[in-house]
Amino acid sequence: MIFAVTKVAHPQKSHTSTAQGGMAAVDPKDKADKSIYHMFDTWKGGDCSSDQNVVRRIIDGGWEEVQWLERKGIHFSRDEGGSIAKRQFGGHTVEFGKGDVLRAVFVADRTGKGMMDTAWGEALKGGSRFINSTVVTELLFNEGCCVGAVLFKVKEGEFVTVLAKATVLATGGSGQVFRITTNCRNNTGDGLAVILRAGLPVMDPEAVQFHPTGIVGPGILASEALRSEGGILRNREMEPFMERYAPKMKDLAPRDIVARAIETEIREGRGIMHYDHQIEHVWIDLRHLSAYVHEVKLKEVASFFKTYTNLDSRTQLCPVRPSNHYHMGGIPTNEHGEVQDASNRVVPGLFAIGECACASLHGFNRLGTNSLLELLVMGRSTGERVLSYLKEKQVPTPKGAGEATLDLFANYLEAHGSENVGMIRQEMRELMTCNVGVFRTENGMQEAIASLIALKQRITEAAISTKDMRMNQELLERWELDNLLDNAMTIAQGALMRKESRGAHFREDHPERSEEFQYHTLVSMTEFGRVSFGKRPIDMSIYESRGEYCEQFRIMPRKY
Amino acid sequence: MSKTYSLTLTIKRYDPDRSVTWFQTYRLDSGPILRFVDLFRRINVEQDATLAWASSCEHAQCGSCSVNVNGRPLLACELLVENAVTLFGTTEFKIAPVSVAPVVRDLVVDWEKAYERVDRAKPYIIKPKELPPGMTEHRISPQDLARYEEATRCINCFCCADACISGIRTFIGPNAAIASIIRMMDPREEEKNERLNLL
Repeated sequence: MIFAVTKVAHPQKSHTSTAQGGMAAVDPKDKADKSIYHMFDTWKGGDCSSDQNVVRRIIDGGWEEVQWLERKGIHFSRDEGGSIAKRQFGGHTVEFGKGDVLRAVFVADRTGKGMMDTAWGEALKGGSRFINSTVVTELLFNEGCCVGAVLFKVKEGEFVTVLAKATVLATGGSGQVFRITTNCRNNTGDGLAVILRAGLPVMDPEAVQFHPTGIVGPGILASEALRSEGGILRNREMEPFMERYAPKMKDLAPRDIVARAIETEIREGRGIMHYDHQIEHVWIDLRHLSAYVHEVKLKEVASFFKTYTNLDSRTQLCPVRPSNHYHMGGIPTNEHGEVQDASNRVVPGLFAIGECACASLHGFNRLGTNSLLELLVMGRSTGERVLSYLKEKQVPTPKGAGEATLDLFANYLEAHGSENVGMIRQEMRELMTCNVGVFRTENGMQEAIASLIALKQRITEAAISTKDMRMNQELLERWELDNLLDNAMTIAQGALMRKESRGAHFREDHPERSEEFQYHTLVSMTEFGRVSFGKRPIDMSIYESRGEYCEQFRIMPRKY
Repeated sequence: MSKTYSLTLTIKRYDPDRSVTWFQTYRLDSGPILRFVDLFRRINVEQDATLAWASSCEHAQCGSCSVNVNGRPLLACELLVENAVTLFGTTEFKIAPVSVAPVVRDLVVDWEKAYERVDRAKPYIIKPKELPPGMTEHRISPQDLARYEEATRCINCFCCADACISGIRTFIGPNAAIASIIRMMDPREEEKNERLNLL
């Protein structure tokens, strides 16, 4: 029997459903495109930090998954001939950067929803059982094997010990660590926190991607199209400031440069305070664009600005700020989704996939449309691995299962004091955005680490008024805050240790990539704030195979 | 400087421990473009941590935050304060959980119960059509897709079902019906008879 546990009220409500743009996959019928080009784009985009064995495996498996989805009824957008339509996406090229390519299949502007609806429908048809509104609070181990987990059923307020020969974590991202994020309310990094408490490491937590133009309020993306269609970023003085940061490219400069420029303007006092949300921002000016651009090309973004800020982008300036978007790092796994420990040995019975996991396809920077691809291919290959693992020997149940969880939750319920979970969460998110976000410096991060320790101390004095366990939102948010703080701490510690800039990780005091850090960070945390580091080598098997295009997979500068 | 509204939110509450229902009034000043989910979060932080409410994506893609505001089912993540004031002509709002499923606590309902109707509609291809020889994917013309594509946008927020009085009898409800109608129109579905019977 397969049990699927979800934190949300129903699988359809998962964060995957919010993915918009598309899913990259090389169509073997396409004469112009080749898998090796897609592998190159992924390797280069990830700033030479992806594992090449994983890159090869996932990219080779892409089109098969597109076919699976299509047969199972996904409503892909179609071209005039009725075939699956494809669109272009940033960073995806043919012939190793020579030209653009149509590589992303899509379901209008709701590809993630299309995938989730299809996968959920198939699971329902196949008789999988869903346990919704439920979180994992503890992993169970015996003789070094994972033998199940303790669950907290939030709606019912019950703890359940589940014994399982195989446990797959697919707990998603941790975007709620930051003040402005595209991530949903549930993305509090629960799976990573549970892994850390089990004494296992997380990998590359410092690799966090920020999108330059999030809409102030919901944090959701105002797409890149805004700038490619001629939108101009302006500060409080109405100056088109990108001219100073990228005199040639201006507003069309790459994501990370634009994000840093916006944050610099805000930091130097040229941002605008949004009174309702109490968030500083800059403007995107679209007023000079033609009616056609507004009504056709920017229709979707224009409707977002209307819905969430009540502004008409044809006549009014719209508020934007860099928004946390994706965490490339996560629970270290091999190419089969098997979780690894700090010595890079497989933990039998434990698997991880999706944003909570790090195999690593994306290295230090994810290309758009590569994450949906990863979900599907890794989902299948991990499922196959689980099936073969199930045939191996059964490990007996451990003693004392669930005791740690009950202690933890009893402490939450018995706490006294006047601290406030919501306030501390706000302070943490603000702190992480300012000190461990787009800009990172030694001092800023040391400050952040000290503040996180102080917050962790203060939170022990937050009393919970709701004592009944059923749908106890206060209790859930208290537990989530511990998880968020654990995630925040590993991000800050990883970023402090990595004295270089790589992909999405930018150190103001170390702006170049360094050979010395050509490895994956492993961070373990036995006690809050006390971390130990390990390393995992970056797989270079395509380069080392000495095959036809191996030279394209060397370590090269990330220049576009 | 932004405009400020003095709002009164009267929220229907339910405590499963004592099985009691009551209305609780919260007063707060808010700028025009906060959303109702932002107001609920502020109530939690500033006034009352015990108020339970549901949301997930908070940008109208998941349909978790449906609530009834002054008699109308709406997504709390999409409802801006100034739009609500215009829509209802008041700064006083009575907020209750949607009626399509039992209440778990306060504004949180048991979505699994609501979804039972959608499950009955079999939101998948019951009997897939065979691929034509030599083809690896089906062809569907954009014109054919366009006939039912709008319907695939449905996120099962159940606001339509909440507003629809026929949903309480043998009618499966508008959103569940949509899930089946999509597959009626989908050329990849062979099992049209069962679908007709379902509807």
